[in-house]
Amino acid sequence: MSTVMKIENIEAKIGEKKILKGLNLELEAGKVHAIMGPNGAGKSTLSKTIVGHYDVEVTGGDITYKGKSIIDMDPEERALEGIFLSFQHPVEIPGVNNAYFLRTALNAKRKHEGKEELNAAEFLRLMKGHLEMLGMKSDMISRSLNEGFSGGEKKRNEILQMLILEPEVIILDEIDSGLDIDALRQVSEGINKMKDGKRTFLVITHYSRILDYIEPDYIHVLKDGEVIKTAGPELVPYLEEHGYDGIKED
Amino acid sequence: MNLITLKNKSTQEVASALNVEGRELLLEKFASLGLPHKMTEEYHYFDVEKLLNVDYKTLDYLPKSIEESDKIEIVDGVVTKAPKGMRVHFEPAGILDMDHFDGLYYLGHLLSPRTIKIEIDGDSEVEILHRFTQSNTLINYRIVLANQANRHTLVYENFEADNIENSLVLYGYDMHIAKDSTLRLVRLQTMKDKQYSMVASHKINVAKNANAILKNFDFGGDQALQVLKVELAERAHVDAGHLLYLNDDSKRGTASQIIHRGEHSTSKQIAKNILDAQARGIFDALIRVEHSAKFTKAEQNAKSILLHKKAYMASKPQLEIYIDELEASHGSTTGQLDEKQLFYLQSRGISYIEARKILVIAFANTLIEEVKDTRHQDRIKAAFEAVFYASNKG
Repeated sequence: MSTVMKIENIEAKIGEKKILKGLNLELEAGKVHAIMGPNGAGKSTLSKTIVGHYDVEVTGGDITYKGKSIIDMDPEERALEGIFLSFQHPVEIPGVNNAYFLRTALNAKRKHEGKEELNAAEFLRLMKGHLEMLGMKSDMISRSLNEGFSGGEKKRNEILQMLILEPEVIILDEIDSGLDIDALRQVSEGINKMKDGKRTFLVITHYSRILDYIEPDYIHVLKDGEVIKTAGPELVPYLEEHGYDGIKED
Repeated sequence: MNLITLKNKSTQEVASALNVEGRELLLEKFASLGLPHKMTEEYHYFDVEKLLNVDYKTLDYLPKSIEESDKIEIVDGVVTKAPKGMRVHFEPAGILDMDHFDGLYYLGHLLSPRTIKIEIDGDSEVEILHRFTQSNTLINYRIVLANQANRHTLVYENFEADNIENSLVLYGYDMHIAKDSTLRLVRLQTMKDKQYSMVASHKINVAKNANAILKNFDFGGDQALQVLKVELAERAHVDAGHLLYLNDDSKRGTASQIIHRGEHSTSKQIAKNILDAQARGIFDALIRVEHSAKFTKAEQNAKSILLHKKAYMASKPQLEIYIDELEASHGSTTGQLDEKQLFYLQSRGISYIEARKILVIAFANTLIEEVKDTRHQDRIKAAFEAVFYASNKG
């Protein structure tokens, strides 16, 4: 197994509340890992910890990505290295044009990789196909970033960013929340397009519905700040039937 | 000349000190208002006495032959260039506002017996460049600007300074916006610390059915105050936008009075202020609705972002209303950049500095995008970015 990210004994708190309590998790490169667990288990805190969110204070442990510790890296460094979080609640930024934002982000990444920056015309050509696939209207890219977007439009916009930035580790935090069936299908199509056996997915979810569309390789059950079980996709129906309380720790 | 020596002086003493003959009404107005000081309401947050209490060199303001150019260029208070056919004169001021609230409005006129009069014919676009080349100098001049009825006029105003230090500029407009016309003034001023300070005291008359669109973009350092009095006749409209982006220990802003005199007159005054380092922004703005101004609509709003814990915004929007038949609103908010928005941008690989810039520009954009000409819009954005990167080296 080739490990792309290793989370070792990580402890983290938000404010005074200790949420992650010595969590261990290895992400195998090119695989889809689903993190499931009840409310308050620490799923979103885990995603915030990986991307360096300001809310989270890491009090112990380490996270290595491609063999290098990222724990002291700024959020933008982690992003440039290829870690991407699709937010559960993407923030609205009035006055920031969506296309300008996306091009700035893409060019920051290209610059980091020593590639030439794209001009506006090249960028728009790149966007066009992605917009069609996600069922996004072209005017969405000329609007302010997420401003006035419906829940589904915001999630599509997150996936659009993922498609444009082509990250290597993709964390999807409750990507299915607020999506109707059609939107879920389109968003899943976008995600599946990125599944090329090289990229790694960490799908954080309450419910198994999204896993009907994005087939997981591993299921990790998170409870009270720790991973208590790791299994294959066969665990999903068991969880459906017995809930998280029925899980026996590894 | 040290202007502070005019403090508490009689009309005769002021006339003697400034070598003024006649102009008794102006002298009386100046003597009654006096030099502004810390307790003068409009100057309360602006250290004007320190600027006045300096021995400045003075200039002669002798008219020069005017070169043909695509813009009006005023160098140290003297017109040196103007477009062909543009009527630019150097002549006595004519009718002044004898009820202005600013003592420096009258002092400016006393110091400038002749004004630069610019008459704009037809529908036209004019660029005025003010350039300052003298150090340790009091540079004072007044401009009378008039357009024609039923016409649309666009004025772009820019400022440049040579490598000078410690000068004081006192200038201002007496602007007459003719009935049924529109005058749009876009003013961009980037100042560097310790080059020159400025007090610009304006009077703008907006005639019946006329529109005054005033967009101010004040960036950078040093000290400057725009003192503005606008009077609105029947169905006249003013749309005043003020964007401040200050760094260092700059003190700049606007002290204004918009006075609704005519029925159905409307005003909209929006200020956006971004303060970095130890800068102080000033927005001391009064909208007064007179008894005669029934069915007025007035809107006033100031929003400020403090980028540094030592930055400070003095925001004082005020309404003074003498009638019931009107619609009026005002408000003021001050805050910091949104952490969630900053993080969102960073999480996509955008550096902290670039993310701050994007958010600060987003805050400012609603005003910048009101400048319809993209060439000037780009110029404003470039000036903004230059100041931003000077403050955010990293």
